[in-house]
Amino acid sequence: MDPVVDLPHVSSGTDRDMPDPAASTPVAPEQFVLAVSSLTTLSACGGGSGGGSSATPSPIAPEPSPEPSPPTTTQAARFLQQAAFSSSEADAANVQALGYAAWLEREFAKPISQSNWEWLYAHGYADLSFINSSAGASNVIWQRLITADDVLRQRVTLALSEIFVVGFQGVTSIPYRPFVMAAWWDLLCEHAFGNYRTLLEAVTLSAAMGRYLNTSGNQKEDPARGRQPDENYAREVLQLFSIGLYELNPDGTTKLGDNGQPIETYTQDTVTQLARVFTGWSIPVPKPVTDPSFARLPMTLNAAQHSTLEARFLGATVPAGTDGRTALGIALDTIFKHPNVGPFIGRQMIQRLVTSNPSPAYVARVAAAFDDNGQGIRGDLRALVRAVLLDEEARSDAWSANPGFGKLREPMLRFLQWARNFRASSTDGAWGISDLSDPGSRLGQQPLNSPSVFNFFRPGYVPPNTGIAAQGLVAPEFQLVHETSVAGYMNFMQTVVASGTGKVVADYSPELAIADDAQALVQRMNLLLCAGAMSTATQSTLRDALATISTSTETGRKNRVHAAVFMTLCCPDYLIQK
Amino acid sequence: MNIKHTTDMARRAFLRRSAALGITGAIAPWAMQLSMLGEAAAAQASGDDYKALVCIFLNGGNDYANTLIPYDSAHYGQYAGIRAGIARSQESLAATALPPSSPMADGLQLALAPEMAALMPVWNNGHLAVQLNVGPLIVPTTLAQYKARSVPLPPKLFSHNDQVSIWQSGLGEGATQGWGGRMGDLLMSSNGNSVFTCISAGGNAVFLAGDTVAQYQISTSGAIAINGINKTLFGSAVCQNALRTLITQPSAELFANEYARVTQRSIDAQAMVSTGLAGVTLQTQFNTQNSLAMQLKVVAQLIAARASLGAKRQVFLVSLGGFDLHDNLLANHPTLLGRVAEAMRAFYDATLELGVASQVTAFTASDFGRTLSSNGDGSDHGWGSHHLVMGGAVQGQRYYGLAPTIAVNGPDDVGQGRLLPTTSVDQYAATFATWMGISPSALPLVMPNIGHFAPTSLGFV
Repeated sequence: MDPVVDLPHVSSGTDRDMPDPAASTPVAPEQFVLAVSSLTTLSACGGGSGGGSSATPSPIAPEPSPEPSPPTTTQAARFLQQAAFSSSEADAANVQALGYAAWLEREFAKPISQSNWEWLYAHGYADLSFINSSAGASNVIWQRLITADDVLRQRVTLALSEIFVVGFQGVTSIPYRPFVMAAWWDLLCEHAFGNYRTLLEAVTLSAAMGRYLNTSGNQKEDPARGRQPDENYAREVLQLFSIGLYELNPDGTTKLGDNGQPIETYTQDTVTQLARVFTGWSIPVPKPVTDPSFARLPMTLNAAQHSTLEARFLGATVPAGTDGRTALGIALDTIFKHPNVGPFIGRQMIQRLVTSNPSPAYVARVAAAFDDNGQGIRGDLRALVRAVLLDEEARSDAWSANPGFGKLREPMLRFLQWARNFRASSTDGAWGISDLSDPGSRLGQQPLNSPSVFNFFRPGYVPPNTGIAAQGLVAPEFQLVHETSVAGYMNFMQTVVASGTGKVVADYSPELAIADDAQALVQRMNLLLCAGAMSTATQSTLRDALATISTSTETGRKNRVHAAVFMTLCCPDYLIQK
Repeated sequence: MNIKHTTDMARRAFLRRSAALGITGAIAPWAMQLSMLGEAAAAQASGDDYKALVCIFLNGGNDYANTLIPYDSAHYGQYAGIRAGIARSQESLAATALPPSSPMADGLQLALAPEMAALMPVWNNGHLAVQLNVGPLIVPTTLAQYKARSVPLPPKLFSHNDQVSIWQSGLGEGATQGWGGRMGDLLMSSNGNSVFTCISAGGNAVFLAGDTVAQYQISTSGAIAINGINKTLFGSAVCQNALRTLITQPSAELFANEYARVTQRSIDAQAMVSTGLAGVTLQTQFNTQNSLAMQLKVVAQLIAARASLGAKRQVFLVSLGGFDLHDNLLANHPTLLGRVAEAMRAFYDATLELGVASQVTAFTASDFGRTLSSNGDGSDHGWGSHHLVMGGAVQGQRYYGLAPTIAVNGPDDVGQGRLLPTTSVDQYAATFATWMGISPSALPLVMPNIGHFAPTSLGFV
């Protein structure tokens, strides 16, 4: 079939191509608005506080008019690559027919796809022989991300799993670990379109987080033995899951105090006192364990182990003697009401879905939607998702044309895009994709397997010795980019494209059907993988090279298709999601 | 960054050195002769102007109190009294006690965790030292000053990612230069290939980024070749060439351009590393199941290939994770420490084998120390910590710095037994920088706050 290719906004000239390798300033300074809040704190308050970017791209003039409707095919594809994992012609046509906003509403309304929990059960992993096994953990998450129909929910859940991080390797000393992680993913899915406050409580009391950040088994102070409550969750819930280290303006920039310095949101004393709230909880693991059902129950409270000392934090007070559930409610309500949450979470959701360096105004619009969904409700995650994906900065070609706009596609998103675009299926139904974490021979990334609670990369990461650093921009995903991982990714994908992995193989029928036409093949790659962002130079290099592979045999046709897919997946034009 | 190709001179030097090592390497049994050989080879190679610094970063914040444990009865009693439920037994420490060559004033004696016994011969030979209570500081800080916030303090204390960054760079998350990289800036001119000045066998670490020096990352199996550009691609030589063009071509797109630069560096360096490592054989055994050991093995291999790579001054980083033990400290920490000791010992032996023991100094670093107080079965984020320094040039069998009072609410405690550092990371770093050949006047370029501290060299190397 002939794909509908419509590339009106792809430059016909060379503005995406720079022949001079020695050029050291790839971005003209006037193309950026330098919104520098404080140069002296530029490095010291990177995005870890959620408000780090000091320089943000502005749209390339002229100021765009409101988005015309309906979107073009490439605009629809680009939207899908932000909101989902892939962009088939049919999916793009749907977006064109519905419009962006209605497509989102349709996704919000979709039933949740088969849970990871059910899949593990259906595939026999609940058998007692698996009680101490990690088998199935990788299979289940990959099959869900590759096959689930509720694509927006899965994409948002993946983004949430990189903010509320639980890493599989850190969930230890507990039976049925794959079920603990399955329940965790299912929990994030369940609340992805709900309210942040509900999500925060579910996260706090989940078995996975309870085990990962040690709330489970956390005991109250014992002055006689000098024992103190464990501070791990109290610290990270503030630093990573809600408010960050420094007070933020509503647009995500760091607030400065009278002394010109950032203002800390909390101190060590805050953590010490808040830690009291998270004592007394434990995962209800039965003795003996006969099945994994405990793994999706919220933690339970043992009043005897709960600290009843007064706890003061963030302007709130839990009075001495307060019961554990009431104390938890006070704590989570207090965190939820903190004005940082909207810009802190909102900016990171923009980074995961759209661009590494959103303008402060974009962050402010998203934060405003978090603060009030239009009906007076705070924390509505649907409103947040709408605000992130429908914003002019996310949608307009004028913004994306800026050379600093966009983000490096995470390795796991590239793999998912390959799998979904090319209809990957598991020949034996087992989805035996193993852990792909090794950067030297695989992706260097695996869903739900971050090496620490600080995710695979930090929102404020600045790749040293780069033009990105020179522009004062952040590039979180570049924390995974180095001489080993760039090579390992390509070698892995070369095998995957041709032969699949773990008996998960692609179906290239539509591509094989147009294999004789190298130009058509390139256009299809540009649409499916790059959403039209492939430069004209890359297109011609690719087309000319592919044309030299003879398609007179079946093997030749396959080789040409494999080469087209693989070479595109390696191109920097593709690797950067615009 | 441009990579210069190795000169014929460097190749010839490499071949000469390999031949020399080959002769001595034939003597057996290797292990028994190791120490003697090391000294002999070092003497032979006295014209070998080479120095390497190796940072062993323990991710998560190492629990210093269960790594270097008070062993003399008075101090052990204080330790055990505070660490109910997470203390090691005094009896278990007998074989790893570290008697200093000159006794400490208050009789303090530390012991390595029992699992670190592999390092005892290095201590006993005087090539392992302990630095007490080191951590990030802006200026010398007293407890009263800390409590009153009357002096500038490092930002974001007790936060993992930021303290990792501050230990490595002096700045919090988002920093773009570390002190290893800044040393590299000053030292790279002596290297034939600047790209091999700062090398990480762990992941990306700001420690190794300088103003001009970029970190080079290597896997434990060496440099990874890109198959698609080294063999015909799906049967096509034209596609093979086109792929090379596509993945390395500059772009007006900011992020795409940077990705292509990393790829270009990967390709260029891989060719040289493969050539260099091809001539290297190490007899020293490294445990393949120990990821830190495997990282240190590739560092040792690169050191062995130094002539081929044109390297005279190098800074390396290796890392091991899992130290954030809020829970299961007694169950998990010993295993981790065992890996650290096993890896460090193998690395030390490899430097002896290569005849470079006195030219290579390794040290530990970590996010922060941890609380002395127990939270039941673990400890929480702290600040100052004890660390190990190892190498043939190290003035070992000694403790450096000030021993903290082992007490909660004591004079060194900022809360729950979190140590207020009495030696700054700037001093720790400046000591290594001085050893690497950086002049006193250039030290502020490496550690901007060094002017606030004295002495600038702690004397352990």
